[in-house]
Amino acid sequence: MFSSFLIAFRALFAHKTRTFLASLGILIGIASVIVMVAIGKGSQKEVMDVIAGMGENLITVNAGEMKRRGGRLRLTGNVTTLRVRDAHRILDEIAEVETVAPFEEKRMTAKFGNNSAETTVAGSTRDFSIIRDYRLQSGEHFSERDSKTANRVAIIGMTAVKNLFGEEDPLGQVLKMHFIPFKVIGVFEPKGVDTNGLDQDDIVLIPLSTYMRRIVNQKHITRIFVRASSRNNIAKASEKIRELLRENHKLTDDRNDDFTLVSQLDLEDLKKETTEMFTKLIVGVAAISLLVGGIGILAVMLISVKERTREIGIRRAVGATRRDIIRQFLYESLIIGFLGGGLGIVLGVGLTLGLTHWGHWTLILDPNSIWTASWACAGLGILFGVFPAIKASKLDPMEALTTE
Amino acid sequence: MSLIEMNSICKSYRNVGFETQVLNDVTLHIGEGDYVSIIGPSGAGKSTLMSIMGCLAQPTSGEYILDGEEVGKLNDRKLSRARNEKIGFVFQAFHLLPGVTALENVTLPLVYAKHSPGNAKERARELLAKVGLEHRLHHTPGQLSGGEQQRVTIARSLINDPRIILADEPTGNLDSKNGIEAMKTFDNLVKEGKTIVLITHDPEVAQHASRIISILDGQIASDSYQKTETC
Repeated sequence: MFSSFLIAFRALFAHKTRTFLASLGILIGIASVIVMVAIGKGSQKEVMDVIAGMGENLITVNAGEMKRRGGRLRLTGNVTTLRVRDAHRILDEIAEVETVAPFEEKRMTAKFGNNSAETTVAGSTRDFSIIRDYRLQSGEHFSERDSKTANRVAIIGMTAVKNLFGEEDPLGQVLKMHFIPFKVIGVFEPKGVDTNGLDQDDIVLIPLSTYMRRIVNQKHITRIFVRASSRNNIAKASEKIRELLRENHKLTDDRNDDFTLVSQLDLEDLKKETTEMFTKLIVGVAAISLLVGGIGILAVMLISVKERTREIGIRRAVGATRRDIIRQFLYESLIIGFLGGGLGIVLGVGLTLGLTHWGHWTLILDPNSIWTASWACAGLGILFGVFPAIKASKLDPMEALTTE
Repeated sequence: MSLIEMNSICKSYRNVGFETQVLNDVTLHIGEGDYVSIIGPSGAGKSTLMSIMGCLAQPTSGEYILDGEEVGKLNDRKLSRARNEKIGFVFQAFHLLPGVTALENVTLPLVYAKHSPGNAKERARELLAKVGLEHRLHHTPGQLSGGEQQRVTIARSLINDPRIILADEPTGNLDSKNGIEAMKTFDNLVKEGKTIVLITHDPEVAQHASRIISILDGQIASDSYQKTETC
């Protein structure tokens, strides 16, 4: 058995260029599988990071029914039933809830000196920045007093800072919205875009009480951000919030919810669908490239068998069995497969690490893909080597010997 | 008991609907230690007879008993083993593996032997020395002359110590000097107790044997013993 391996190895070594070319298809196939799976995993992680960055164990209660349109969730209708007291009851009565933040927002023009820019003005509580993971870069947050007395203070995001203040330090400055002056008491660290591609830094946060009284003068809110006490409790908390809100809004069994719950898990599932589709697609492409690689092995092995007909005859004459011949050629195709696979893994891993290091891409090496690739190239070597090997073994020894 | 026992062997090839009868009812017994020439014009069926005798092909009908075993009943594994252990082939076209040294060509049958002796290289070296090639051990066939290649072939046929040497036109590709050398080797092997079957169309070569069988149109035309100085 070992001798068959040795024979195969030497035959391949004698035809280095051909061996390399035969394994090239597998090499490229395996390398592309590894890189593409890494790209897929990387983009999945990026998306998951964005979701996680929106807030840990986040559940969003939106007023009105939400519908999925074009892969995004959009609110429909104008519902006025969601109130601040809903938020208080959620916090007080549901054990699985850690923090809540009632929230209302509106696109408005803010002015500073001669600069003016459209931005999102949001009203919420201190807990908003905890739940949504907005961190202060400088300055300070609202005080209890600010909320109680509806003070005109604001904390602003980086985009709003850039648009309104340029290079100037915004702390302590006064900006105007609706001709109402607000003192800037803090600046948020930049957060980037959310899963819908919206800029999370284009924000001017003011106390909810100030917002409700001075900006809009309304009682209802459009959103409540809720943080569940743990990831495992997200589903349970969601269910309890639904029950509580239905009761609070006096919804009878025959009526639909007048609110929509979207949890972190829902967002993850939504995004997973897209990334999984992407993964299936690349696996399909990879499978085709591996198939082409396998056909490369098949072609080279058939040529090799034809070329070595006389050698087969000689070996048969001195005592090689059909099985010996099959083994010899199977080992050859297997070695080609492994050679291509091995070099493919090296190339794939190298490219992945290189792109991560120098290209600054988010690529994640999946040990599974390397493992699967190793099996795939062994399998391909055997699968596409069997036919030529059997063909070689079926040659009539006497005819093989007399072939020129 | 004869070492080679062929009873009513027929062999025909089917080719595009035509059936060609190559051997027709050949009955032939060869004993241990015999020195036999099979002679006949080309196309008479000599090579076919040799391939059946050498277990490289199976007869269409008839019975072939080699060393007490009925060859027709052997599977591929046993057939291959018979070729490996009982028979040494010497071909007209040498049939050495290209690109492989003389030493390795000689040890090739041992790769497929059931019990490969530990001193394979040593034995191969001895055999190559015996045919006068001790200075050509690491040369490949391409670097050897025709006569030298034929001697490598002979060494290879002997590596497994077979009882029968089948030589198909062993002098066909050699000049007369090398041809005489090769024949001397065979003459000596008979003295060592090997059974030798020479296939040739050359009456002069055939004269070396003690028994000459002539084949014509797939049948044995004559079978005669003769006294020679080698026996």
